[in-house]
Amino acid sequence: MSTTEADILFRDVKKGETILEMRGITKIYPGGVVANDHIDFDLKAGEIHALLGENGAGKTTLMNILYGLLRPDEGEIYIRGRKVEFKSPLDAIRMGIGMVHQHRKLIPAHTVLENIVLGHPKVGKILNLHEIEQEVKELCEKYGFKLDLHAKVWQLSAGEKQMVEIVKALYRGARILILDEPTSELTPLETEKFLESIKAMAEKGLGIVPFVTHKLPIVLSVADRITILRRGKVVARMKREEATMVNLAKRMVGREVLFRTVRVKTKIGEPILEVRDLHALNDRGVPAVKGVSFVIREGEIFGIAGVTGNGQQELAEVLIGLRKPIKGKIIFRGRDITNASILERWKLGMGYIPPEREFGAIKDFTLVENIAMNYYFDEKFVKSKFLLDYDKLRELAMKAISEFNIMAPGVDTKAGHLSGGNLQKLILARVMMRRPKLLIANLPTHGLDVGATEFVRNKLMEYKTGGAAVLLISEDLDEVLSLSDRVAPIYEGRFVSILPIEMVKKEEIGAMMAGALSGGVR
Amino acid sequence: MISPRFTKLKIERIVILTGADAVKISALSIAISFILFGAFVSFEGANPLVAYEHIFSFAFDPRLGLPITLHRGFFLVFSTLAFIIPMAAGIWNIGMEGQFYLGTIGAFAVAYSFPDLNPAILIPLMLISGAIFGAAYGALAGFLKGKMNVNEVVVTIMLNNIAFWLVYLLTVGGPWAGIAESTSRPLPENACAPMIWNTPFTSIFVIVVAILAYFFLKKTTIGYQIRTLGSNPVVAKHVGISAPKISVIVMAIGGAIAGLSGYHMWAGDPAFLMIPRPEAYKAIGDLTYWGIILGLICLLNPLASVPASIFIGSIIVGATVLVRRLRLPFGLDVLFLGIISLVFAAFQFFHQYRIRRVKVVMK
Repeated sequence: MSTTEADILFRDVKKGETILEMRGITKIYPGGVVANDHIDFDLKAGEIHALLGENGAGKTTLMNILYGLLRPDEGEIYIRGRKVEFKSPLDAIRMGIGMVHQHRKLIPAHTVLENIVLGHPKVGKILNLHEIEQEVKELCEKYGFKLDLHAKVWQLSAGEKQMVEIVKALYRGARILILDEPTSELTPLETEKFLESIKAMAEKGLGIVPFVTHKLPIVLSVADRITILRRGKVVARMKREEATMVNLAKRMVGREVLFRTVRVKTKIGEPILEVRDLHALNDRGVPAVKGVSFVIREGEIFGIAGVTGNGQQELAEVLIGLRKPIKGKIIFRGRDITNASILERWKLGMGYIPPEREFGAIKDFTLVENIAMNYYFDEKFVKSKFLLDYDKLRELAMKAISEFNIMAPGVDTKAGHLSGGNLQKLILARVMMRRPKLLIANLPTHGLDVGATEFVRNKLMEYKTGGAAVLLISEDLDEVLSLSDRVAPIYEGRFVSILPIEMVKKEEIGAMMAGALSGGVR
Repeated sequence: MISPRFTKLKIERIVILTGADAVKISALSIAISFILFGAFVSFEGANPLVAYEHIFSFAFDPRLGLPITLHRGFFLVFSTLAFIIPMAAGIWNIGMEGQFYLGTIGAFAVAYSFPDLNPAILIPLMLISGAIFGAAYGALAGFLKGKMNVNEVVVTIMLNNIAFWLVYLLTVGGPWAGIAESTSRPLPENACAPMIWNTPFTSIFVIVVAILAYFFLKKTTIGYQIRTLGSNPVVAKHVGISAPKISVIVMAIGGAIAGLSGYHMWAGDPAFLMIPRPEAYKAIGDLTYWGIILGLICLLNPLASVPASIFIGSIIVGATVLVRRLRLPFGLDVLFLGIISLVFAAFQFFHQYRIRRVKVVMK
């Protein structure tokens, strides 16, 4: 390998030596939001330094500054004592900084090797894949990665794809690796393997910064040091030995957080939703839901646990009408709704919380207008036949703000001024206040911080007591297990099993989600 | 040693653009266009200030340009509204020209068929027929867009061409041909528009349409669905708003408004169709394209479209004096309009970004 700037910069690094220092980093966004307020951060060679914080605490901003995606308004970055300034990620990469994003940025149709090479300075001259392959192989051996370099990326699992991203960053000469929410799409098994490998990488003298929001156990198992951000400031920095779940969460949120949602049992009533042998294709025309049948009754939360891409999204979309099934039947309160439109389903009493806030709220609309989204077709909110009753909608919006604890200056504020968590609460409020008989909660706590997650979970638990049913789809196994009355692990478009919560063992469900076990009950 | 200070320019994305900002941006673009065009005028050896004085004194003189200014200006209001309503749903109606021509056909067909009807019946009939023809023509593009996802820009532009040729064939040597070349038979007396302040009554009528359009978008349930779809189609789908239905509705409404302008344009004075040869550089239909730029600078606010359209109308009418009175080169009036539309289009940038000055102190 030819010597690069990073090679020179990182020559003779000893383990434990401070390689990166960020001093007094300040970033103020237009509109006056202080994302980073004089943050100091450092990283030693061979260390895993976790950056922890709620949404909007400033982790992403800080790491984007380090990767050259953003420029700080104040503050300096030093690498091995040398002051550096990054105009773009290219500068950062040249100085040995690599970043693995939460959402994978690979080309599915290309091979692993082609993806690793893509964007590398060596490409563009004459491409000598043989030589590169040799180098990549050496790299994989050094860190103990097992990768089939000639496999196409679409054939890989989420964990393997992440591996490819890491190797890609390393091949570009990364000595400092930033991992953005690295385990959010991995199965429990893959997570374990992944944690092993980042420990191994740290052993070899790399500095690693994973930043993780709510997966505190992961932080506790791998990090050497933990820095906690809150509202743009460093509120605590500690060694792993000093940290516990409870004190990390408390520092992060600024108050005590209970990690348990109290399960309430209510009377199980009539069946609300009945699904029979449902089949559906995904966007690429490949079968994604392959014969799913189940019944949900009044007063229960039915949880679907699965790793992204196993058909749970397609299933949810079929249920609310966003996607047409190719076979099967959906019966809602005794009515066949297989071919009903989305609007009819809302009117009949279904409610849907979309997996991304971008699917649920319009930033340019006021809170009142955002609330109206589930009421514009409701007679109670329409006057003289054609006009929306904005007075009533305002009242409703005010009620939503107070009942769901939404932090907003007023109901005429544009939704774009709200934080992600508050926006999610707004969507939740809007849907729940309709009191649908069936609430499909698709990743309801996705991207929420610890405090807001707790709030949403309690709301869901409270919801089923009013004689309604909840279908919960989540990637967070703990969430599914703590809320559901029955759990269905989904793998490759099929329910592996449907288990009452009393019969569930966490390890078993985890294995089922990974396709390692097929259950007895079907 | 004194550390050197710099002023750096930073480009920032605007999250939410207010109406006041939009007005500032428009005022700035007008100022810049005037300066730019002024340079051309002085290059041709005339004093720009004198030129501007002539333009506006002509355009707003009640004995000279004012009636035409109002007529053309209000014609642009129709086009702008016909653009705004579909655009509020995220659909680009570039078919105001075609819908206007179809509306013309609808209105004239009624007038030629029933020349003896009482004006109180005939004129509303012409307006309704024009609106229906325009609406049907617009809805066609809306249907193709909503049902089959065919690009509405391509469809409406092609439909424009068809509509122009339909009117051309009816008028030039066709069944409606009059005595003079490229003109139709005069409209029957009963069909002529009553005049208010020397301009057809439809000028007042379009102000009412603008107000109705404003309330329609702002207050009605359909208007709400339109705005939701236009702001975010994915969100709209999730809450059960039917994109095919809404695209047909908005294109039909847009088409109907453009169709109404078919009456407004021709039924006043001189009350016959005048169709230029297709190779002529400036057909009346070309004016409708101002609706696009006016709609965008008004941030899709129907009320703002009235003053903005009158302003452009005054320049369309007033700039002709440059050639006639100041003996400046032929085509300079068109250049002025071209500069204004280019500058307005370029300044759309500031609807999304702002440039901020930051002081940097070098250490």
